[in-house]
Amino acid sequence: MQGAPTDAELVRRALAGSDAAFSRLVERHQAAVRAFVRRFLGSGWAEADDVAQDAFVAAWSSLRTLKDPAGVRSWLCGIAWRKAQDRVRGARRGAARDSGWLETIEVPAGVSPEEKLALQAAMAELPTDVRACVALCLGDGWSHGEASETLGLPLGTVKSHVARGRARLLKALGGSDDA
Amino acid sequence: MTPEQKLAALFAAEAPPRRDYAFQIAVAERIAKRRAWLTVAALLPWLVVSGIVLWALHPVLERMSGELAPMIQPVAFVLGGAVVAAGVGLWLTSALQRSVTVAATPK
Repeated sequence: MQGAPTDAELVRRALAGSDAAFSRLVERHQAAVRAFVRRFLGSGWAEADDVAQDAFVAAWSSLRTLKDPAGVRSWLCGIAWRKAQDRVRGARRGAARDSGWLETIEVPAGVSPEEKLALQAAMAELPTDVRACVALCLGDGWSHGEASETLGLPLGTVKSHVARGRARLLKALGGSDDA
Repeated sequence: MTPEQKLAALFAAEAPPRRDYAFQIAVAERIAKRRAWLTVAALLPWLVVSGIVLWALHPVLERMSGELAPMIQPVAFVLGGAVVAAGVGLWLTSALQRSVTVAATPK
């Protein structure tokens, strides 16, 4: 019995016109892309998912530009990052929608809604580069190298961004400034 | 809980499910719509070329119109109808998709 096809194989089939292969890529990587966008945008999940869907459609359109088919996850998150940055620049998130979202806030056990709000506020205050590094490395456990490749930032910059972002987030959650 | 644990718990709570068919279907719908528009866009140059050819052949066609009119008219009617139907279909698809998306978006 054959094992699951690799990303490179799925990319090859999708380039040959297979919608099923591209759908498998979406299935395989949607969680990573959506998690990254959710953490980066920090707003309602519906908006983040909208951006993630935009990213997948853009990926479908530009699949031929993918240089390393094995690195499709990084490539997809890179597209999602640019889409998310466009959305942030557009500043289409209104106060009315934010307040509506806050009313339905859900938090994990052991964390108060105020702490979640504090984290959201701290994330929102981070520069976009720092936020993206934090979302990938702290949120999803990516290595600094992977984040560097995805975001197009130097490795040292990613490391310092993650350290700085982590310190600010921990401070917002009651930790010390030099955490 | 320490701030570290809280941070990890809050990030973990934002993780989407490993499989989400609704999301996959939404992506597939958007791709189908994009493909439909690309198809229409690819036909536009041919439409322009056809118009120019018809315009260039107008004097000849006018002379022949008397003989060919019974054959050309129904064909032109069917082609025109198909173009209008395709345009209305695309418009309705995007309008319906917008309304379904708005209705399905959590408040």
